[in-house]
Amino acid sequence: MSTKEQQERIELLQGTLDLLILRTLQLGPLHGHAIAKAIEFRSDEVLQVEQGSLYPALHRLIKRKWISVEEGTSENNRRAKFYALTAQGRRRLRVETSKWERLAAAIAQILRPAGQEEQ
Amino acid sequence: MTRRKRMLEQLDQEIRDHLERETQDNIDRGMSPEEARYAALRKFGNVMRVKEQTHEVWTVMWLEQFLQDVRYGARTLGRNPSLTIAAVLAIALGVGINVGIFSVLNGLALRLLPIPRAKEVLSVNQILRFRGRGNRYIHNNSGYFSWSEYRDYRDHNHVFSGVAAYEPYVEATLASGNARRILGTAASCNYFDVLEQFPALGRGFAADDCSSPGTNAVAVLSDAMWRNQFGANAALIGKPIILNRTPYTVIGIARPGFTGTEPVPSAFWVPVTMQKALEPGQDRLANHNMSWLAMFGRTRPGMTLDQVRADLDVIAQRVNQQYPGRTTSLAIHTARFFSSPEEREFLIPVSSVILAAFALVLLIACANVTNLLLARASVRQKEIALRLSLGAGRARLVRQLLTESLLLSLAGGVFGSLIACWSFLRLTRFLTSHLPGDFPPISINVAPDLHVLFYALLLTVLTGIAFGLVPALQTTRPDLSSSMKGDGSSTTPGKRSGRFLLQALVGSQVAVCMVLLLAAGLLLRGLYYAQSVDPGFEIKEVATTFLDLGHQGYDQPGATQFMVRFVDRLRGIPGVSEVAQAECAPLAHDFSADHFTLPGRSDQTPIEYNHVTPSYFSLTGIPIVRGRNFTWADTHDSPGVIVTESTARRLWPGQDPLGQTLRESSGLARTVIGVARDAQVSHLGESTSNYLYYPFGPEDNARSYVLVRYATGFGDVAKSMRAAAQSADPNLAIDVSRLEDYLEVWRAPSRIIAGLSGTLGALALLLCTIGIYGMVSYSVSRSRREIGIRLALGAGKATVLRHVLWHSMRPVLIGGAAGVILCAMVSGVLASMMFGVSVRDPVSFVFVPCFLLGVAAAATLVPARRATDVDPVVALRCE
Repeated sequence: MSTKEQQERIELLQGTLDLLILRTLQLGPLHGHAIAKAIEFRSDEVLQVEQGSLYPALHRLIKRKWISVEEGTSENNRRAKFYALTAQGRRRLRVETSKWERLAAAIAQILRPAGQEEQ
Repeated sequence: MTRRKRMLEQLDQEIRDHLERETQDNIDRGMSPEEARYAALRKFGNVMRVKEQTHEVWTVMWLEQFLQDVRYGARTLGRNPSLTIAAVLAIALGVGINVGIFSVLNGLALRLLPIPRAKEVLSVNQILRFRGRGNRYIHNNSGYFSWSEYRDYRDHNHVFSGVAAYEPYVEATLASGNARRILGTAASCNYFDVLEQFPALGRGFAADDCSSPGTNAVAVLSDAMWRNQFGANAALIGKPIILNRTPYTVIGIARPGFTGTEPVPSAFWVPVTMQKALEPGQDRLANHNMSWLAMFGRTRPGMTLDQVRADLDVIAQRVNQQYPGRTTSLAIHTARFFSSPEEREFLIPVSSVILAAFALVLLIACANVTNLLLARASVRQKEIALRLSLGAGRARLVRQLLTESLLLSLAGGVFGSLIACWSFLRLTRFLTSHLPGDFPPISINVAPDLHVLFYALLLTVLTGIAFGLVPALQTTRPDLSSSMKGDGSSTTPGKRSGRFLLQALVGSQVAVCMVLLLAAGLLLRGLYYAQSVDPGFEIKEVATTFLDLGHQGYDQPGATQFMVRFVDRLRGIPGVSEVAQAECAPLAHDFSADHFTLPGRSDQTPIEYNHVTPSYFSLTGIPIVRGRNFTWADTHDSPGVIVTESTARRLWPGQDPLGQTLRESSGLARTVIGVARDAQVSHLGESTSNYLYYPFGPEDNARSYVLVRYATGFGDVAKSMRAAAQSADPNLAIDVSRLEDYLEVWRAPSRIIAGLSGTLGALALLLCTIGIYGMVSYSVSRSRREIGIRLALGAGKATVLRHVLWHSMRPVLIGGAAGVILCAMVSGVLASMMFGVSVRDPVSFVFVPCFLLGVAAAATLVPARRATDVDPVVALRCE
């Protein structure tokens, strides 16, 4: 991994991991590794998830009843735990997404003039 | 546990699968298997931490950590038994004293009445305010009600299932074999029903017993009365007893343990409608403008206090309309001993002062424990620094250290509370059974209840936090490097502030200790003075008895007749040299005063007065220094009065007082016929206040003190005096006491408070000495290197000793000075107990600080000498 590559990757903001997991599970039930891969892939590998941190987050979401977990068989015929979005989680995702969009828009709004001034 | 284990295994499996998949992905991308595995692990992060964090999501973390802390704390404390025992004992002492005192106050003021469903019984008091001039007769307590007001509330309320009223503390003479004076209650006839205290034998009052005034002379006796006076004879029911010369039929014996609703037990209960017969000469039932009945009611089920207030306020408004210009507000509380606002107004400040004084001692105990912990914290600094550097959160460490100190305080608190509850129970029982003879017995239950338990718990937790927080914050300060590498003897700013903290703690200990010891010293000086002071009259070998004949059913001619016979018989007792009568005996806490005007002056002068027989002056040895004494022929109509020297000087400076006139507030003019020497007859320690004597008249016989000077033993004289009273009237009982005993009444409060603050001061001194000793030995052990350098550079041992002493005594001196100033500021509250000694008495203010500083110096000297034993070579090589 070159230095340049590392600089282009962005560490996750605190609390956004939950949102990303919820969004990823909207596609259907997945196991832990697949979730990590999906987040990396869908962000064009810009977002770097420390894969381990996924597990506390998953368990936190289970405790809040936003996702559910069940045993299943993975693509290569191995037993694995599959995580899926619950109805409550789906509602939550909508709320969080709109919140995030508003936040992002607001921050972009503030940052834009500064960038123009520098130019 | 198994559920947790299974969860952990599943998580393990999941993480293993995840890593395998990632490794496989990496191999697919062309890495070597080994490289692929490392890359996967790198990407995953710290496996252990992930497991822990996941685990934390599911467990109630704090509880688990708390239990862990408790286990760890218990182990740490067990490793250091001497420190643990010292700390536990210090806390046990502090918490124990506080809990003990609180249990007494709880018994007095907080405990509910010992009756079924006591919470339902509310005490109602009224506070009257008048627009302009209002008048109101008050007997016992201004919050009480008149008979007609009581009936208004009883008949028109919608919130009580029953409202009862009673007149407490009715004094009566029980005539039987040997006559006795007892305290009883005149109660409304639903009294026992509302309290649900049905007599154990016979019956309580029925509604007819109160149907009309003075018709139903029945009585219920207390269990104690029945046992002590009547030998628990069940045949007493239906028989008559005589109270204040009226026969009453005994109808019942109260349940054992029921002594009424006042702190002083009631010996009997009679219907309130018998008031006039019980207290002859006073018809309170007919006086609608007199406060004399305490009132309480039992609420109907489901009534809230607000509903009760609203309902009774309506009645209060109606009562107001009968008295123009009067507004009534009601104070309604759950009934307790001492539930009237007047009593609580007195009790609450007094008890807060007492609790505060004891809390101060607890504070010292806390400071000591803090010192111990701070000293140990410096030893533990390395362990804590290591934990901090390994990534432990500061909050987490503080919590752990606090858990440790809470464990300590809990151990001390439980130990101290147990001992306190046990010993105070014994102590009160001992005290209440050894009260002086004429003191009314008090029924007080100091057994611990929920209040006490809650107070003890609160105190214990606060103590734990108070003494634990400072060291915990101090030790976990993120100042790692120095403590990690050194042995803790380096002098970084953190260390210096730690030492400052120690010094501040010791200083405040000394200040608190100084206040307590000074208060004790001042009071002892006052007591010593009161003991040795000459009151200005001869107080020894005088017996006295107080006779309230009017109260006991005598009319005025009857009283005079009795007195003539009684005094005659007293004169015949062998060894009796003089008999005198007075309205107030010297120092009897019985005062009368009037406002006088001088001719040609408009201002009024308040002057205390007494009515005395001519023999009073020779009996008490107060000489008439000018003019003449009264004669036996003088009566209230005689215009002559005798004033004291100081009064004469103040009223007629530079003039001859004889023949001067002064006018009473009633308008009557009086002429000075004599001047008596000043004496402390009214207030102990005060002889120069305005005072004058009137001649004794027959009117005074209904209520007077009889003074007897004797030359034989007091016991014989008292017996003969009682016999003389019995032979003059067989139904009369008298209490005889020494005139000297009145001095005791004056000295008792200051003796009690001096004893209390002396004991507290001694405890405080002990704790303080330990504190100073601890601080000095700690700082000496911490500055071994510094001392070593000084010695190596040629400083003499005396110089080093002086240096250590000075540094150690500085906080003591500052704290001591603060204590002296504080005490000088607040010592004014003791003025009434000082008997004329100044509240800034120089002897106490010099002696006590010197004593305290001497003790402090001794506590400093012992560890300070160890400093001079430092071997410079060893001390420097230690580094």
